[in-house]
Amino acid sequence: MSFIISEAAGLYGPQLEKLNRFLEKMGLRYEGGAEYTVFLTDEDGEVLGTGSLCGSVLKYIAVDDSLQGEGGAAAIVSRLVSRAYMMGRKKLFLFTKPQNEYMFRSLGFFPLAEVNGAVYMENSRRGLSDYLDSLEKGEGMQGAIVANCNPFTNGHKYLMETAAALVDTLHVFVVSEDASDFPFSLRYEMVKRGTAHIKNLILHQSGDYMISHSTFPTYFIKDMAKAKDVNVELDLTLFGKRIAPALDIKKRFVGTEPYCEVTGAYNEAMKRILPRFGIEVIEIERKGGISASKVREAMKNGDINLIKRLVPGSTYDIIKDMVVPSKGAREYGSTDRGADADETV
Amino acid sequence: MNIITTGVAGTMESSDIIVTIEPKANDGIELSLESDVMQQFGKQIEKVIRETLDELGVKAAKVTAVDKGALDCTVAARTMAAAYRAAESTDYVFKEVKAK
Repeated sequence: MSFIISEAAGLYGPQLEKLNRFLEKMGLRYEGGAEYTVFLTDEDGEVLGTGSLCGSVLKYIAVDDSLQGEGGAAAIVSRLVSRAYMMGRKKLFLFTKPQNEYMFRSLGFFPLAEVNGAVYMENSRRGLSDYLDSLEKGEGMQGAIVANCNPFTNGHKYLMETAAALVDTLHVFVVSEDASDFPFSLRYEMVKRGTAHIKNLILHQSGDYMISHSTFPTYFIKDMAKAKDVNVELDLTLFGKRIAPALDIKKRFVGTEPYCEVTGAYNEAMKRILPRFGIEVIEIERKGGISASKVREAMKNGDINLIKRLVPGSTYDIIKDMVVPSKGAREYGSTDRGADADETV
Repeated sequence: MNIITTGVAGTMESSDIIVTIEPKANDGIELSLESDVMQQFGKQIEKVIRETLDELGVKAAKVTAVDKGALDCTVAARTMAAAYRAAESTDYVFKEVKAK
């Protein structure tokens, strides 16, 4: 059977419906984010295969059984990769079921981490090792914190100071992924300035290898609850198996999470999974209910006084121009925290 | 020929090869090849890529190729196109791509 290839940027209306229907038929779920989509159709316009580019992640790749062995997946991945390169995105990733790993290997993708139910792959054999080689190394007993710092608060500062005092070298990875309110460059700058006084701290970009669990794709896993577990496991396995050994990291620090259920569950998973790789997880009591989401809320409300209390001066200098001050500061502590997943660290 | 950016040519479809050429700080060609026919033709594909780059005067480059059973002439043509793109050069010197 042959197929017709068409491409679409920014799906809407009937095309989006078409994608939705096909994915559903294939047992997948559309969860948004398709910037650029390839369709394989038969002569009647019936969809037989599809795939999308979402940032630097290839998603929603599915091919109907009738096209098996016809090079459908290759045609899709080829176009998505060319498109991504054209847009200047060279490092590409995908998440898939273990049974598809072999096929994606033949399309130039290499596994980064595998757990029961999912594989995380990258389009370069040396991508992760190049990243690890590029990182500044520390010495002695080494620990790590992975943090989004959206924005960098007194809570983060306290966590990092406390952790740094417990090890010889503390590696802090700021999540590079731009899925937060503050862009990476700004978050990185805040952490850099706010931790300049901690002498045994080395600051890194997380690259694409520490994914904030809130943005993990789950579309290919049927059971939503299980999907979350799989993703967390993938992230932590990658950290434990590949990243930590490269830097000789033996401890991972995290703030306690009394508010957010998602992050709380992540902390629990950390305590369960990382010790398997010889990494001790140390929870540090969160300081006075400070959280990044509280800062964002205060910024929305223009509550300058509250912001000043929650963040260090270095962060305040960076964010002050983004705040429109309100008359009369709001009461402290009444913010709705919601189910923000990116906020602990 | 100086490689200054990333250049790509080809597809991952059957009988084709996709060649990506990136800048590299020090001299030498660093090649990473994936092929469906690695056992049989891996060495030959690598040879064609290296020779093609050599003819173009590329001294330093990181090359990634995913081969789907391309013939030598295809390998050479894709390598050439990727190199010109990576050098942001349009001074094409077209010549017959010989089967090696």
